[in-house]
Amino acid sequence: MFAHWYGMKIRTFNHCPIDGDDRVEGDGDGRVYFFSPKLQRLVHHYTRFYRMGKKQKIVLPPDLPPEISEDEIEVSDEDLQFVNENREYAGFVSNLDTQSITRHVTRVADVKEDALESLYEKRLRKKSLEKAKEENVLEVDPVDALPVKTLDGKLYYRTVAKKSENAPKEGEASGDNEDDGVDKSVVKMTKAEKRAKLKKMKKEAKKQGKEVAEVEGGQQIPQAEVLAEVKKELTAEEANERKKYRLAELGTALLMDPESNIKSLKEMLQISKDGDHAIVILGLKSLLAVFKDIIPGYRIRLPTEKEQEMIVSKDVKKMRYYESTLLSVYKAYLQRLMALEQQPLFQRVAVRCICTLLDAVPHFNFRDSLLAAVIKNISSPDDVIRKLCCATVKSLFTNEGKHGGEATVEAVQLIADHVKVYDCQLHPDSIEVFMSLSFDEDLRRPEISNADGRVKNKKNKKRKNLEEQSQLQGNEKKRSRQELMSKTREEVSAEFKAASFAQDVMEQRRMQSETLSAVFQTYFRILKHTMQSVAARYVTVMDIYNKEGRTGWIRYHRAYTWTWLGANSRSEGSLSSSAGASGGHPLLAPSLNGIGKFSHLIDLDFMGDLMNYLRKLAGGGSNSNNSDGFSDNSVKHLTVSERLGCCIVAFKVMRNNLDALNVDLQDFFVQLYSLILEYRPGRDQGGVLAEALKIMLCDDRQHDMQRAAAFIKRLATFSLCFGSAESMAALVTLKHLLQKNVKCRNLLENDAGGGSVSGPIAKYQPYASDPNLSGALASVLWELNLLSKHYHPTVSTIASSISTLSDTHNQVFHSNLSPQQAFMELSLEQESFNPKGDLRKPTHKRKRGSGSSMPAGNGHPDISSTEEEVMRKKLSEHFLILRDITENERLKSELDRTMMSLKLYEQYKKQRKNQGSSKPKKMRNC
Amino acid sequence: MRPLDENETTQVFEKLFKFTGNNLKNIVENPSHEGPETNPGRYCFRLQKNRVYYVSESLVKRATNIKRESLVALGTNIGKFTKGGSFHLTIQCLNLLATNAKHKVWLKPTSEMSFLYGNHVLKGGLGRITENIAAGDGVVVFSMADVPLGFGIAAKSTQDCRKMDPNGIVVLHQADIGGALFTFGLAAFIDTYDQFRGLQSLVEGPLY
Repeated sequence: MFAHWYGMKIRTFNHCPIDGDDRVEGDGDGRVYFFSPKLQRLVHHYTRFYRMGKKQKIVLPPDLPPEISEDEIEVSDEDLQFVNENREYAGFVSNLDTQSITRHVTRVADVKEDALESLYEKRLRKKSLEKAKEENVLEVDPVDALPVKTLDGKLYYRTVAKKSENAPKEGEASGDNEDDGVDKSVVKMTKAEKRAKLKKMKKEAKKQGKEVAEVEGGQQIPQAEVLAEVKKELTAEEANERKKYRLAELGTALLMDPESNIKSLKEMLQISKDGDHAIVILGLKSLLAVFKDIIPGYRIRLPTEKEQEMIVSKDVKKMRYYESTLLSVYKAYLQRLMALEQQPLFQRVAVRCICTLLDAVPHFNFRDSLLAAVIKNISSPDDVIRKLCCATVKSLFTNEGKHGGEATVEAVQLIADHVKVYDCQLHPDSIEVFMSLSFDEDLRRPEISNADGRVKNKKNKKRKNLEEQSQLQGNEKKRSRQELMSKTREEVSAEFKAASFAQDVMEQRRMQSETLSAVFQTYFRILKHTMQSVAARYVTVMDIYNKEGRTGWIRYHRAYTWTWLGANSRSEGSLSSSAGASGGHPLLAPSLNGIGKFSHLIDLDFMGDLMNYLRKLAGGGSNSNNSDGFSDNSVKHLTVSERLGCCIVAFKVMRNNLDALNVDLQDFFVQLYSLILEYRPGRDQGGVLAEALKIMLCDDRQHDMQRAAAFIKRLATFSLCFGSAESMAALVTLKHLLQKNVKCRNLLENDAGGGSVSGPIAKYQPYASDPNLSGALASVLWELNLLSKHYHPTVSTIASSISTLSDTHNQVFHSNLSPQQAFMELSLEQESFNPKGDLRKPTHKRKRGSGSSMPAGNGHPDISSTEEEVMRKKLSEHFLILRDITENERLKSELDRTMMSLKLYEQYKKQRKNQGSSKPKKMRNC
Repeated sequence: MRPLDENETTQVFEKLFKFTGNNLKNIVENPSHEGPETNPGRYCFRLQKNRVYYVSESLVKRATNIKRESLVALGTNIGKFTKGGSFHLTIQCLNLLATNAKHKVWLKPTSEMSFLYGNHVLKGGLGRITENIAAGDGVVVFSMADVPLGFGIAAKSTQDCRKMDPNGIVVLHQADIGGALFTFGLAAFIDTYDQFRGLQSLVEGPLY
């Protein structure tokens, strides 16, 4: 607007009868303004400066010519003559009152400078007000003056485009010097020119927008108006661009000097409330970057009213202002984030911002709301959001130094509540974050020592008191001095505590115990929930059973199948919905892992219940008492991996709490024994099985001979039917067991029956559920012989080395390989394993055996290739014979035919002869 | 020799159930390979002179040939009914219990002898213990080399055992092979002596 006004001014000057050049000169470098259109940037820059400086330099509209001293004025003779000649009308010059004229022209010349300034300011304001009024008036475009009637019947007058009102004028300034004197240059321009001009204008506008932003808030009123005008005239895109620039500027300014620019935070926030999607995102992000940088390393406490009343120094005031602004804007920003987090369009950005903030400044105010938002999204169906939240919580847990552990407690408690509210139906990730918790175990020790110390102190004090009482009753002086000493000592220690950043051990311990209790509460809740959901079905079935009685047996069966089917479909549904999560218990696996990890921290009082739950879960939720039908079906409720996990956790818990008592987990062995059979390579996780083998069979110190034998036998059977990785893990365990249990090496001997050690069960019962009752010692490990012909060289090697174990009795040799390692190695190798390499040795064992008797693994190319050769030979022989036969037949038939023809020929000959003999006769007759 | 009546059966089974739990089924359904029959028979419980025997069916058939007074024993003696009518397991059933035991305790080598002399099992002597024992359950005692040594009643649950001091009693002694060696060695002697005397009197009576 100013530019416009200013341009007008210039134009009027140009047409002014009084010499305009001087006026322009009065404007300073105004000439540049007219000269080169290429330097428009500079010009605009300059005008901006000019406008900024307006406060000081006010253009006096009708200016006097420059003052020239009277001596300098050269009055020419002509002039004199002229005056003399026309005295009648030029005579007034001589008797002019110059003083009054000067006063009149300058008008305010005699006012003091300051007053003058204010006066002009007032004037300016008035003018601008008028301008604003003018703008409100509807201005009809002369080009299409006819109104438009809408469907509603309203009339719309086409107003003059805002652009055309201002932008051209802005261009006029440049247009003026291109073709001087042409007023409305826009109208006359060609299309191309127009376009070029538009572009230019846009650029200018951008620049302007950018620079406008730089203007300090000092002269807000005209500035705001300009800003408003500019805003209006720019298209949405331009505005966005401008806002982007503005954001960038504000951001950099804030980062450079946050204390003085703290106000611009508000503006940034304002920008982020924009309607445009991209701008909002940008605003949020830039605010995030700024906050991340400028948030102080302490928590801001706003001054109380009392404190505010107190007189403080300037610095403190400034600081307070800074802090309160920061805090209020931060709060507003967070509110905005929380609001946006609800909208699906902005959810990711908002969550990312929240996560980053929580990660960066967990010590700062409003942590609770941040935490709540993060925890709320921790099991979000959106992968990105969930990963983000989980990562944030994990980093909260690992970097406890940032917030002193308080956030950990809060987060854990929030997660616990979350699990409670959602009835354990969450994504496993939300519980897995607990795994990155760390508990300082050294905290226990100081407690003990403290307690001891306290006791000692008490004792000492008592003793001292006694002594003192006995001793010091006499001399009070000494006593008072001592009191003084102790007082000062206490003070000093208190001050030291306050000054040192070391946290109070007691406080730390309290937080840790709270965290732990929340964590275990969650874990136990999940276990219990799993139990209940497993048991629920059983209970319903039992209810039906009880109601119906034995007479309704069939009906009960039907009802049971219904419930079972229903439950199955339900679990399938949840499976499909929560992809990857297993069955209806997505949280079970991670919680089992967690219990395994923190098992050393479980209170002994919980142990009994925990083991009870685990036992039931390991049995697939089926009671051992119920009939077969129940157990069969309810076992299906938990996967094999989960049940194996239960076994593993039970062993971990026991091992970690194994102080004095060596507890034998018979029930879990029984479970493992049956689970080995239920394992399916594709469906279940082999790693879990390997871990179970490692923990339960390899790490346990002793086993019953019977049980060990049973497991050896079962593992050997097991390794026959699964992939090389699984069978390798099983064989490693088997070897380990055989090395430990010398008596079990009877299994390697070639006579069944087991002799004296075979125990009361005379015959091997492969289907027994209890390893102790399987009578495995009466069997022979014939599987090893087959396994030594395994297609995988590693498996065949270990199998043959196991079968020779009995010969190397005295060798104490322990393989360090754990089943897990073996499993991992082979399962990794499996991908790159190229069975063709096996054919390199023609004298390999496998060649001896006939290929057909091999255990059929998943694709044995080598075997099949050897077989192929044989087959090909056989086939070729077969076909050769076949061909020979057909050939023979053909030849035979040919022979027959020739024979026939020969015979015929002979007959013919004979006939011929006969005829011939007769014919010649006839001929002769003829 | 006669089968157990209902009351006796419940008593015997309750006692056995204490030690074996669900494995009681195995005891009852155990196929026997005794005798020349091709298809295996079962084992059954028989009462003879207040003593309960665990006998294979084929043996029962054969034992019917001997009259009740002169039948000293058959199969495995697993316990006896006292004069008061209650059932006690005796040490001879140890083998049966050991194979089917639900709760087990393994003794350290140092405390084996103490147990074999009839003392209770203390926590200090405990080498290993099955998890999930409740107080009052029947427990079979093994040496660390898995040799069954005897049996008893659990005085404390496994959980409580953790917190106990090493001198607390874990298993109350009921029977052990050491005592058996002593008692039955002597008893065997006495028995033979009685029989000898009886025979003597038999021989002597009418003759002299």
